[in-house]
Amino acid sequence: MNRLILALIGILLAGCAPQPARVDTPRTEALDKTYSIDLPSAWIRQYTDERNILASRDGFLLEAIAVTRHPMKQAFPHTKKAATEAMLPSELAELEIAELKARDELAAALTVLENEPALLSGKEGFRLKVGYNNPRGLEINEIIYGVVDSAAIYRVAYRAPRLYYFERYYPDFQKTVESFALSSAR
Amino acid sequence: MRTQWRIGLAALAMLAGAALAATRLTPFSSGSVAVPASEDERRVWSQAEQLNELIARGNVIYTDPTLTAYVQGVIDRLYPEFKGTIRITLLKAPDLNAFAVPDGHIYVNIGLLARFQNEAQLATVMAHEGIHFTNRHGTLSQKSLKDNAALATFGSMLGIPILPQLVAVSSMFGFSRELETEADQAGFQRLTQAGYDVREAPRVFEHLAREVKAEDIKEPYFFATHPKLQDRVDNMTRLSSQSVGGGDGTSRADYARAVQHARLDNFENMLSMGRAKQALIMLEDAGHVSELPAHAPYYLGEAYRLRGNQGDLDRAEAAYRRAIEAAAEFPPSHRALGLVLLKTERPIDAAASFERYLALAPDAADRKYVESYLRIARKKGGTP
Repeated sequence: MNRLILALIGILLAGCAPQPARVDTPRTEALDKTYSIDLPSAWIRQYTDERNILASRDGFLLEAIAVTRHPMKQAFPHTKKAATEAMLPSELAELEIAELKARDELAAALTVLENEPALLSGKEGFRLKVGYNNPRGLEINEIIYGVVDSAAIYRVAYRAPRLYYFERYYPDFQKTVESFALSSAR
Repeated sequence: MRTQWRIGLAALAMLAGAALAATRLTPFSSGSVAVPASEDERRVWSQAEQLNELIARGNVIYTDPTLTAYVQGVIDRLYPEFKGTIRITLLKAPDLNAFAVPDGHIYVNIGLLARFQNEAQLATVMAHEGIHFTNRHGTLSQKSLKDNAALATFGSMLGIPILPQLVAVSSMFGFSRELETEADQAGFQRLTQAGYDVREAPRVFEHLAREVKAEDIKEPYFFATHPKLQDRVDNMTRLSSQSVGGGDGTSRADYARAVQHARLDNFENMLSMGRAKQALIMLEDAGHVSELPAHAPYYLGEAYRLRGNQGDLDRAEAAYRRAIEAAAEFPPSHRALGLVLLKTERPIDAAASFERYLALAPDAADRKYVESYLRIARKKGGTP
């Protein structure tokens, strides 16, 4: 009985969030209206909650762009550490690497391919590129841009198999990164 | 209703466990006869092969032929009749873990190698894991059927790496209380026969018990199984007190030389994973640090900085300065000191540290970061 009630609540709540949809407008805004971004045209867009957006062209398990906002005082799920506004960009990147490595044993063996300062929404942050193998031995590359303000850490990430897919959609991702704007910065 | 169902399952599991415990398999007597003898055992070995493939594909193997040969030498000394059958593979993982799979592969984390003090301690674990293979504990374990499905699910996951931790994967070959006790006892006999100093055996467990007690550290699988760790400490202490003593493998210096690179790689790995508390257990041990290269205080400083407790930034600064005093040509100490100085509003000194870092490591991968911090430091310090 309790399960049934929970399931109904789940269905009702799910009804509140927009369903996956083809990107047909240039500008996408987070449901909490803290940032906006141009997602690649014709990709599928999915709001995972009010703070986060996923997008993919061929399927979320193949290639994906993730735009996330993580509240400042909230610890990351795996490392249980939180970002602070006083963190330097390299320290934010360090925290991001630790969080990625804590995700699972394969990601723990990731290789940091690039790690450098970068601008996101005009603010100084980091750009990180990592590589790791998935359970089938497929090499995955992932790029994460991150920046912090007084309220949250924002990340724009792109993940795809290194062979073929990563380079194919990387230009789309770069345009997406350049379009990212914090609401206060607009 | 649900409770009754659980009780029923528990009863079934107990019956199954009892039945398996009663069905003993003859241990393999040598590598030449170590082959699956039944359909069940072939299935278990097949699972082991799948796990071996998963590990090989995962970029998780620590590639150091010299160190691998060293650990292989330890297991070959313990199990000479299985030379060529029991195969050692080192893993990059920083956890305290080692595990045997039913086809004779033994996986050893560098996190385990890094913590031990001498070869006799390593041999204690190798002897234990070897028994799991020779006594066919994988086939005896009732877990295999259940976990076959778990393993199959990994292959279906493509793209986003959401698989459970490999530690959990390895636990499919985890064993019952009875089998773990057997591995401890029979492993101890192997240790004695091979001429290792058995007084080191309980020290392995004591050392690890201390580690497990540390805050936020999950008890690693190797030690998390039944019987409880303290029981195993007591058991090993009893066994070693009954033995004549003597034996070799106690040289800390020889062992430190063999595992030095792995120890440093393990610190890098632990710290990049944010596991400062675990790293500090080793780095606050003066005996352990004395076996490391002169720049080791740099890792201590990094661990303090990452832990971030009250006063840790001061501790970190002191450690970086000690590292620079002992090994001035080691670049990361200068960068790390520069960051502390920048964050504590000493920009002129910070700039000097960053300049020194860039001079020592002109091709550093983080050069762009350091250059940007140098600009900030110079601006704050009013220098061009």
